[in-house]
Amino acid sequence: MLARAAENLYWMARYLERAENTARLINSTTHVLLDLPHGASFGWANLVEIAGLDSLFKKNYPQADEQAIMRFLIEDTDNPSSILSCVQYARENTRTLREVLPAEMWERINSLYLYVRENAAIACRSRRDRYMVLNNIIEQRHAIIGLVSGTMAHDIAYQIIKLGRNVERADMTTRILDLNSAVQFPEDSVLHETLMERVWMSTLNSLSAYQTYRRLVSMRVRRSDVIKFLLHDMRFPRSVEHCLSEIENCLRVLPRSNQLIHIPTQLRHDLAQRSTENLSVAELHLYLDRLQADFGVVHTALTQHYFHAYSDGDNPDKKSQTEIEFTK
Amino acid sequence: MKLASDEYSNLTAYDELLDHNLHPRPVARPLFDYLNSLDEKELSARREAVEATIMAMGITFTIYSESGNIDRAWPFDPIPRIMGRSEWDRIQAGLKQRLTALNLFINDLYNEQKIIKDGVFPAEVLTGSGNFRPQCVGITPRFGVWAHICGTDLVRDRDGTVYVLEDNLRVPSGVSYMLENRQIMKRIFPEVFRTTNILPVDDYPTQLYQTLAALSPRSGSQPVIAVLTPGIYNSAYFEHSYLAQQMGAYLVEGSDLIVGSDDVVYMKNISGMERVDVIYRRIDDNFLDPEVFNPDSQLGVRGLMRAWRNGKVGIANAPGAGVADDKVVYAFVPQMIRYYLDQDPILANVPSYLCMYDDQRDYVLANLDKLVVKPANESGGYGMIIGPRATPEERAQFAKLIRANPRNYMAQPTLDISTAPTLVDGKLAPRHLDLRPFVLQSDKLYATTGGLTRVALRKGSLVVNSSQGGGSKDTWIVEEGDQ
Repeated sequence: MLARAAENLYWMARYLERAENTARLINSTTHVLLDLPHGASFGWANLVEIAGLDSLFKKNYPQADEQAIMRFLIEDTDNPSSILSCVQYARENTRTLREVLPAEMWERINSLYLYVRENAAIACRSRRDRYMVLNNIIEQRHAIIGLVSGTMAHDIAYQIIKLGRNVERADMTTRILDLNSAVQFPEDSVLHETLMERVWMSTLNSLSAYQTYRRLVSMRVRRSDVIKFLLHDMRFPRSVEHCLSEIENCLRVLPRSNQLIHIPTQLRHDLAQRSTENLSVAELHLYLDRLQADFGVVHTALTQHYFHAYSDGDNPDKKSQTEIEFTK
Repeated sequence: MKLASDEYSNLTAYDELLDHNLHPRPVARPLFDYLNSLDEKELSARREAVEATIMAMGITFTIYSESGNIDRAWPFDPIPRIMGRSEWDRIQAGLKQRLTALNLFINDLYNEQKIIKDGVFPAEVLTGSGNFRPQCVGITPRFGVWAHICGTDLVRDRDGTVYVLEDNLRVPSGVSYMLENRQIMKRIFPEVFRTTNILPVDDYPTQLYQTLAALSPRSGSQPVIAVLTPGIYNSAYFEHSYLAQQMGAYLVEGSDLIVGSDDVVYMKNISGMERVDVIYRRIDDNFLDPEVFNPDSQLGVRGLMRAWRNGKVGIANAPGAGVADDKVVYAFVPQMIRYYLDQDPILANVPSYLCMYDDQRDYVLANLDKLVVKPANESGGYGMIIGPRATPEERAQFAKLIRANPRNYMAQPTLDISTAPTLVDGKLAPRHLDLRPFVLQSDKLYATTGGLTRVALRKGSLVVNSSQGGGSKDTWIVEEGDQ
């Protein structure tokens, strides 16, 4: 597979995953808000902050109210991570990839794009419309994943898609975990414990993890258990360890990966040994930040090794296939 | 015919589906039985379904501008253009005959030039050719074939005669729309496919693959085939990616390829360099190789001509094939067929006047108000004048151009090209159309079943180009025994 096509494919997978995750995050946040008592507050601006988009947001929007933030996250094409932007980039990338993807894939992604383009403004109109539109986006994205796993040859292109999806997913799981530090309660609230439970429930919900958690871990939603589940549980496909192990699996199949497979492996070992249950809010925040930086390292290594391996003027005589395989 | 618009009462052109009494021609009867069973509401529901399908299939033109990229749906008319098989068989034979002669001609021009020495083709036409590539002299590509993919434009005049309007031998496009048009029709009008025996069109990608594979320099292994595109900003990008997908070929840009000192073309893959055997190039000669042609080209591949000349890669169409894609050369195709094949041309040329000859130029200048005058080397309708529709000032201006460079101009009578019923505001109105079949040649010859029908959607217009208000129709070749 062409290095350039592989890069487009990797980004297509990341954009689609990001669009879906943003949709989930908004829906579950809206949901939990409805359960918060008067006096408890949740800054919508935190949604923008965990996505790492606060400076761009502040530049373009005078006020951080719900409506502005929804427009920014859903339909603003000046925000490269808005749902509309992500779907648009994914579609543009797919246009260049039709020959490596199942024929229906283009039609599916094109339809998703047309749907988001038509409905992004509607989603920003009211909470009810928003829920419906975002839910449809999530469902259409699931149809795309189904198409990939059910009809696509499990070839190099398939591995690259999985790679992009899991890098993005690991990153997003840490960001969603981080969201809870944003919820503030009145100090003296007698309901504190119940409320906290609600908030963590929403965290699980936004990752479609609530039911699995209850089945596999506990009926009680406890902070320490949720953190452990989302970081470490290998049975859950959105846990960070699971994502890292998927990245390793992809690399095992991809050609000439022996020089970089140690990066995710090392990361996963470090994470597995780290006890996270008793981290304070501030410590957890720092740790999640570090994990995000580590995913950045994985991303850069993939990009340099596979997508940008050929600088201008490369001569195949000097860099034959075997040499690429064995030189460092 | 209850759906026929009033415009039909003034029609002088030949209509493909309706006779002069507005009765369906025999090949179109089952279609009209079906159409007549629909009311206007049902008909417009189908039309909306067509548009939704086109959007979902993403068959669009992208217009790139500073204010953003606008996707325009591929303009499609749901009423098909229908032709009987017996007529089509004759046309198909004519297309193959024509491409065979054209390839013999190109190969002769780059080698012995016997046709010039024998006085059949004038040397001065060659001298004035903008598409003759001296870099190709002395080369004989495999099978002696230069133009592997040809898009021939056909039109029908008032008396029913089908003429060849031009031979597109450079990078003709449109075949993907031919294939997609049939997909749309199958989705929206599955019922009609039961009542008429419509010949399928979908073997084109396989035929194209085989045509290209036959050019591979390596025998025995499955060849690595790449479609070379100028990139996503090219208006035909949709087709490039579509064909690559259909053939299971790679879609590459110039920067993805590199020619080694062994003259082999390699592709920059994530697993390392991989050898490319055949390139279906969709960029013009001039941008193909900065080492030989335009040195500023960012689209091509340095050393590609070297690789081709040394037989390390097959290129379709071969560089230099465009020499026969010239409206003056066109006028000599009937002579070429007689000269190389010793046969009479099956398909007629439109009578042409070459301004390089004094007597013919005088005639053209005296009859500018009746003629269409075209420049030799342009395509897409650029730089031409339709005499009857031009102002006296425009004609005077054009006469100057002709006198200044007579070799570059040829003229033809204005044809009253045929129409077919086209859905306009719930009625069927006559709209002018042409037909572009695609013809393939390497070790074998192949012509599509039908082709791409392009239709001028504006009333009275003769311009079928999609950039100028043209659309397209599905083209049916039907077995007449079933009628």
